[in-house]
Amino acid sequence: MNRWILLAILIVLVFLTLALQEFIPPLAVFWGARILLVPVFFCFGALELPLLLMLILAVFTGLVSDLMILQVIGDRVEIALGWSIVAYVLMGSVLQGLRTIYLRGRWEIHAFGSAFCTIAILGGQFLMITARRIDEGGLVFDWIVLWRILVPGSVALLVSPLIYFGARSLGMCLEPRRGRAAYR
Amino acid sequence: MTRPINWIVAGVVVIGALALTSMQADSMRSLQAAFLSVMGPILGVGSDFQRTVNAAAEPKKPTGDLRRDNEQLLEEVRTLRTTNALLRDLEVENNKLREALQYRERSVFKLIPARIISRDASAWWNTVKINRGFEDGIEPDHPVLTESGLIGKTTTVSKNISTVLLITDENCRVAAKVEGTREQGIVSGMRVQKGDAGELQLNFLTKGANLQAGQKIYSAGVGGVFPSGIPIGTVKSFRVRELDGQAIIEPAEDISRVEDVFVIVGVK
Repeated sequence: MNRWILLAILIVLVFLTLALQEFIPPLAVFWGARILLVPVFFCFGALELPLLLMLILAVFTGLVSDLMILQVIGDRVEIALGWSIVAYVLMGSVLQGLRTIYLRGRWEIHAFGSAFCTIAILGGQFLMITARRIDEGGLVFDWIVLWRILVPGSVALLVSPLIYFGARSLGMCLEPRRGRAAYR
Repeated sequence: MTRPINWIVAGVVVIGALALTSMQADSMRSLQAAFLSVMGPILGVGSDFQRTVNAAAEPKKPTGDLRRDNEQLLEEVRTLRTTNALLRDLEVENNKLREALQYRERSVFKLIPARIISRDASAWWNTVKINRGFEDGIEPDHPVLTESGLIGKTTTVSKNISTVLLITDENCRVAAKVEGTREQGIVSGMRVQKGDAGELQLNFLTKGANLQAGQKIYSAGVGGVFPSGIPIGTVKSFRVRELDGQAIIEPAEDISRVEDVFVIVGVK
């Protein structure tokens, strides 16, 4: 499949998934942990697309994610617009470094990458909130915080193979390359 | 090998994103409002679909039960209309007396009914989105409530969708008073909620407040956002801290189950 078409499909999927996530109820048994699917689609794109197209996907994913969760209370912004773009560009760049191995058919790179991205995003958000509210509520850390970070990461780990093999069956994945071809 | 130009582009993107973080809060709010206007129809369709599925999953009532419910509701409407008419007379009389005593006239608030169309998917904030926006007269910082009590306040308002910051969020602070006492404090949510419905904390009480479980908490009307007298919740427990007293409050409304709310948009 043409990489530009894949980028367009992923942009639409990220946008729709962002809306879909709002209707997925929190997991009560895991202390209100949420299911996040956007990082799973982003990681798939970051491994399938070349660097420039990955950057376009990272900018779009980061921007819409920030706009969806932006908290402006009075004159104060909890996590400013743009931080998710930085996070997705950095995580996408790391995944680009693993693309050669991924292109040899190692689908588990996508699974672990998705879990890592989800955990990094939630952990980063919690750290930024903590830093911003340190004067008001102080440092709050509870094992519930860990659940809320690790459970979505585990869900991403489990869901990502479905997305990878689903996309593969639809002919959206690059064919695995062997030997020196994987480096080209 | 990746060409160096690609990494230069990546660097430019990161610098651009960092520049975006320094935007003014109002500009960010406007951008978010524009985005929500685009997202609104999708969330609306999703909400309608979810409601249809939930309604289909509910067991159907027999026609006889529905007729009985309808009769009961009609009777309740008639009673409430009559009571309302009587209360309007009392309100006019009360305002006349207040005027005679040179007190400020009490206002009757205009309420806009709204429906919750989605709940925030993030792990750290407690917000919902409602199907009303600036076209309906809603602005940021308008109080949101149900017949049982306070729900929160609006933050970002787009054309036909608004974000509501719930009282269970740590950022939503309400000046509150305790029923039957002169105690006042600030109610806010907690950063990490253990329960589904959420608990609130009432801080800055005097150390000798000694609140008892079951005492009711109302908004104090200080701060200009929330009017006085809206039920917030009931006291669950009280403890004395180093500098003040703190009560844990159970919200008047189970926010995780609320579907329909009212927004106070101004005075009639």
